[in-house]
Amino acid sequence: MSRLQTLRELVGHFMHRQRFVLAPLLIVLLLASMLLMATSGLAYVAPLSYSIF
Amino acid sequence: MSAVLGVSAYYHDAAAALVVDGQVIAAMQEERFTRIKNDASLPFHAAEACLSVAGLNADDLDEVVFYENPYSKLERVLISNLRTFPMSWKQFPLALGAQLGTKLWVLDQLAEGLGVPRAKVGFRSHHESHAASAFLPSPFEEAAVLTVDGVGEHDTTVMWRGQGSELTALGSLEYPHSLGLLYAGLTAYCGFMVNEGEYKVMGLSSFGQPRFREQFDKLIRLSADGSFELGLEYFAYMTDPALGFGPKLEQLLGPRRPVGRPWDLDSAEDRRFADVAATLQQVTEEALLGLCAELRRQTDASALCLAGGVALNAVANARLLRDSGFDRIWVQPAAGDAGAALGAAMLGSVALGDGRTQLDTMALGTAIDAGRGQAVARSLGLVAERVDQPANVAAELLGRERIVAVANGRFEFGPRALGQRSLLANPAGAQTRDHLNRLVKHREPFRPFAPAVLADRTPAWFDGEENDMTPYMTTVLDVRADKRDELRAVTHVDGTARLQTVRQPASMMRGVLESLERRTGSPVVLNTSLNGPGEPICATETDALGFFVAHRVDALLLDDVLVTRP
Repeated sequence: MSRLQTLRELVGHFMHRQRFVLAPLLIVLLLASMLLMATSGLAYVAPLSYSIF
Repeated sequence: MSAVLGVSAYYHDAAAALVVDGQVIAAMQEERFTRIKNDASLPFHAAEACLSVAGLNADDLDEVVFYENPYSKLERVLISNLRTFPMSWKQFPLALGAQLGTKLWVLDQLAEGLGVPRAKVGFRSHHESHAASAFLPSPFEEAAVLTVDGVGEHDTTVMWRGQGSELTALGSLEYPHSLGLLYAGLTAYCGFMVNEGEYKVMGLSSFGQPRFREQFDKLIRLSADGSFELGLEYFAYMTDPALGFGPKLEQLLGPRRPVGRPWDLDSAEDRRFADVAATLQQVTEEALLGLCAELRRQTDASALCLAGGVALNAVANARLLRDSGFDRIWVQPAAGDAGAALGAAMLGSVALGDGRTQLDTMALGTAIDAGRGQAVARSLGLVAERVDQPANVAAELLGRERIVAVANGRFEFGPRALGQRSLLANPAGAQTRDHLNRLVKHREPFRPFAPAVLADRTPAWFDGEENDMTPYMTTVLDVRADKRDELRAVTHVDGTARLQTVRQPASMMRGVLESLERRTGSPVVLNTSLNGPGEPICATETDALGFFVAHRVDALLLDDVLVTRP
C-alpha cells in the first residue's frame, strides 16, 4: 500500500503546469514497466508483450 | 524527544546519520559495513548501527529524511534524455529502467527496510541537504553557503544565505553545466576512476604547468557574475553514462590516458596529463572564486560554508581562503553525498523544532571492542597485550621509525582518517613514504601523504596558522622552507601539505603527538587512512586485524591493546 503514496506524490509532482508535457511519456513508460514486470512472473502474458514490442 | 534519521544512497557513497534532540549522535557510510568502497546501496547496516549507538529502535524515529527528491530526479533524467535523443538511445532504457524500477521507490524501500511507516519517510532536495550539512553544524550564526557538485536533481551549483537555522537559496546553475562533471570528465580522461580519482588529479596538478588555458576556454566559459557554461560538445555524460568526455575532447587535448598504465612523470606523455590536471585545477579555482565573489556581493557575509564533492578539493579551498575575501571558511569534512545524509537529518530535526548544534568531532561511527580484538588477535597467533599508555607506546614505536596502525574509539564519518582509524609513520623519512606507497597503499608515486600536528605548534612548522578547515584536512598550508627536510614524507612537490591540526584534549592523536614531541622534538606525524588499496577505511577491530595481517606494518593499537607479530 505504501507504493500508492509514492504514486500519488509522483502524480502530484507531474501535475505541475510546466511538467504536463512529460506526463504522457511517463504514463507509457510506467505502463510498459508494469507490463514487463508482469511478464517476468506470468508466462501467459508474455506473448502479449512480444506482440506489442 | 525527537529522533531523525538522514539517508543518502543510490548514486555513490551511501550513508545514514542520526540526530536526536538536535544533537548529531552518529553518522556512518555503508561502505564501512559492507566493505565495498563507495557502496551506494541503501544504508541499512549504517542505519542500524546509528540506532544502536543511540540505544534506539526504528519505532523511536520521528522521521526518516532522504537526501534528494526522487520525483524531481526522474523529471531531470527524462528531460535530459529527451533533449539529447537520439544520441541518448543507449542510455535511455538504462537510465529509465533504473529510475522506474528502483530509484523512484526509494522512500518505500526505506520504510520497508527500516520497518517504519511510509508516512514518516520524506525527503529534502539534494543541494538543500548539502547546504544544511555545511551550515547547520558550522561555527557560524550567519554565513554564505556554496554547494557545488556533479548534479543533484536539476542543480549543480547553488548559492545560499544561512542565518540561524534557516537557509535561503540565492541562485543556482543547472545541469548539464557542472563544475563537478567537468572535473569528473577530466578525471576519466586522465585514466582515473570517476568519483574516486579526483583526489589523484588534484595531487597530479602540482606536477604540471597550466599551459592548456586556451583549450580550457573552450571547455568552460566563466562569466563575470560567477556563472559558467560548459562546452557541451566536448563531454559525453549526457548521452553515455560510461564516459564523461567525448571524442572532441581528445581532439582538443590529445589522446586519453589508458587506465592502469604505470605513471612516469619524467615522460613527456605523462607530463602532458600533469599539465592538463594543473590547468583544470586553475580553472576550477577561478570558477569557485567567481562564485564566491557573487556570494559576497549578495550576502555581505564574512564567513563561507562549502559542501558538495567539489568542496573536497583542499587545494582550491586554500586558494579560496586566501583570495575570496571571506575571513573564515568551514568545509563540512564529509562534503560529498555521504555528508548530505547528515544535512537531511539536521533539516528534519530543525523542522521538528530542535536547535542546531556545532559539530566538534567526526568520530561518529561505531567503537572498537578492544577485548574482542585481543581475543581474535590471539586466535590468529598474534601477540596482543594491554598497555597502560597506548599513546606513549605508539610514539616510542614511531620514534624508532616503525609504522603503527591505530584503531581507536569510534571511526570517522567522511573520507578523512583523523586519528581514529589511521596509519601513523615518521614524517621525515622519504623511505617511509616509499614503503607505504609501494608495499601498503599501492598508490601512484606522485600522491602525497598528510601530516598531523599539534594545533599550537602549527606556525613553527607551517606557513600559516590553524584555521576552521585544518582540524579536518580540508585545506592545505605551505610547509615552512626550513622544515621541509624534517617533513619530507608529507611535503608535496609544490611545498604544501594537507595537514590536520590536533587540538582535541584527551584524544589518542593528541597524546601521540605530545609524546612524540617530548621524545623527538617534533610534534608532527605522518597520518594516512587505515585501509588497503581499493578498500574502505577499517571500521571494526576485525577489519583492523585483517589489515594488519595482510600488510607490512609493524604494530597495531586497538584502543589500549598492542598487537604485534610473534
